[in-house]
Amino acid sequence: MGIISKLLRKNTSPARIAGFALSNFIGLFIVAGAVMFYIDARGIWEDDDSFINTDYLVINKKVTSASTLGDKDATRFSAKDIADLQSQPWVRRIGEFSSSDFRVYASVSQGGRGMETALFFESVPDSFVDISGSDWRFEPAQSTVPVMIPKDYLALYNFGFAGSAGLPQLSEQLLTGIPLKLYMRSEDGSRSLSMEGSIVGFSNRINTVLVPDSFMQYANSCLGDNQNSAPSRLIIDVSSPGDVAIADYLKDNGFEVAGDKSGSSAAYLLKVVIGIVVSVGILITLLSVFVLMLSISLLMEKNRSVIYRLLMLGAPLREVGAPYSRMIIVGCAVAWFFSMVAIIILRSFYSSALEGFGIYADGLIWAVSTGTLLALIVITVNVAAVSRKVKGAWSLKRKDA
Amino acid sequence: MTGHIEEITLDTLLPRVFSREELPYSEIWRKKVVFHRGKRYLVESASGGGKSSLAAFMMGSRDDYEGTLLFDGRDTRSLSIAEWQDIRRSNIAYLPQELALFPELSAIDNIRLKAEISCAADMSRIDRWLDRLGISDRRDFPAGKLSIGQQQRVALIRSLCQPFDFIILDEPVSHLDEANNRIAALIVEEEAERQGAGIISFSVGNPLLVENSEKLNL
Repeated sequence: MGIISKLLRKNTSPARIAGFALSNFIGLFIVAGAVMFYIDARGIWEDDDSFINTDYLVINKKVTSASTLGDKDATRFSAKDIADLQSQPWVRRIGEFSSSDFRVYASVSQGGRGMETALFFESVPDSFVDISGSDWRFEPAQSTVPVMIPKDYLALYNFGFAGSAGLPQLSEQLLTGIPLKLYMRSEDGSRSLSMEGSIVGFSNRINTVLVPDSFMQYANSCLGDNQNSAPSRLIIDVSSPGDVAIADYLKDNGFEVAGDKSGSSAAYLLKVVIGIVVSVGILITLLSVFVLMLSISLLMEKNRSVIYRLLMLGAPLREVGAPYSRMIIVGCAVAWFFSMVAIIILRSFYSSALEGFGIYADGLIWAVSTGTLLALIVITVNVAAVSRKVKGAWSLKRKDA
Repeated sequence: MTGHIEEITLDTLLPRVFSREELPYSEIWRKKVVFHRGKRYLVESASGGGKSSLAAFMMGSRDDYEGTLLFDGRDTRSLSIAEWQDIRRSNIAYLPQELALFPELSAIDNIRLKAEISCAADMSRIDRWLDRLGISDRRDFPAGKLSIGQQQRVALIRSLCQPFDFIILDEPVSHLDEANNRIAALIVEEEAERQGAGIISFSVGNPLLVENSEKLNL
């Protein structure tokens, strides 16, 4: 149908179509680029600590001279404190730390050399610890207690203590393989318990020696003097880490956050920034859709009498709309193609840095899928507009009459 | 609509603009009229009698009328856009008074365009028609550069380039001399005969000289 499309393409403005393709390209590039960057960069902030979710905060009260002088309750959270916390909008749930009400000694012997240390245990509700199934469980019948220690403790030992004391450095893998001898006794020395411990993980986010809640209850009931005291530390599942309201609230109440929380704040900031960028990209894409719709509408308006005459000759509506749909599809395909090329180029700028971080994210796949989906939506919306416009031209005189 | 249209029935049809006016005598408006495929009709009217409206109603481009218009008993108001396009392609040929040529296309491209749309290109027949109507030397001229009489002949040939059960000709020879009128009439008769189609031509004073036409006053 060479003659038909020649007639219908009359009055086409290449500049306007190019303008659409360019703005569509920019929109697609920004949206797809932001999605890609988010997926790729997420890995940098995401802790390698898979045991404790980044959305968890561990808080305690500031230690003051009063607490040093014996007022132990000064650093404990009262029921009122907890209720107030629970009422904050950013709190999903709160877990209390339980601490051991007995003395703990741990020893390691390796190749004839031994090491012994006084220790303490704490526990949080098991639902806050992300260790698969049976590894993080204790039953009185079993003699091995799973233990999680902070990464910092190992670093302190390896880089601070081991060197000066002439002891070997230990890797995480090695330590998880070594059985720990645990000796626990009550305050008055009348009751005691011997067990084996095994280190199941190292955490960046909880600065304590952690055991399962079930073990803590068991050991406290055997060895403790049943003094149920208020917790001095809380673990909180927050809905938006990095929220200013959290920092303000903690400061106002004299609470401190334990561990490194910069990761979660950065991740939160990243989300916010990416959200803004994606919105801008979507806005530009929307604008490009309008630019296209307006130019096609204008073009069809200019060619209205041509379209009408063709329809009077019996040309099928589909055929009359086809040249315009083709323009849309070609314009969109060109914009899509170049934006995807630009995305790949963008990624090449930081892909080596990503490898340096040891991150292998599939941001590109997400970016391409997002870009393709968006381009398809743009095409669908505009092709639908064309077919509406042709129908309008068909009933032109009917409306006039 | 599939197959042929055998009858076009006008049942108390009246353009809405006339509904409040005192109508002069008419053999069509507000009457029951049936056009049969294979027969020839000449509809004569004074200017402003509504003949172009009637043509537009039968082509589906307007529907501002009272009464009913039926194709083989089917109310045309119930036809879909696709069905109308089908009818325009293969049931009813139409030569509008305003010709509706594409001025930027050459005479032959205007004709070829219609033949392409209706998938009925028989170039040798088209060449013979151009020849008989004396415009074969103008075939590659832009239609807009031709005289009105020449344009009328191009538009006439274009309207014949499709299968049809009826051909509606709205003042087809208003700018032709009698000799060309006779040739045009002969070509229309031959093609209608070949297709077994009906001819409905409108005139305000210079009728297409088709033989044996039933005359109706609008």
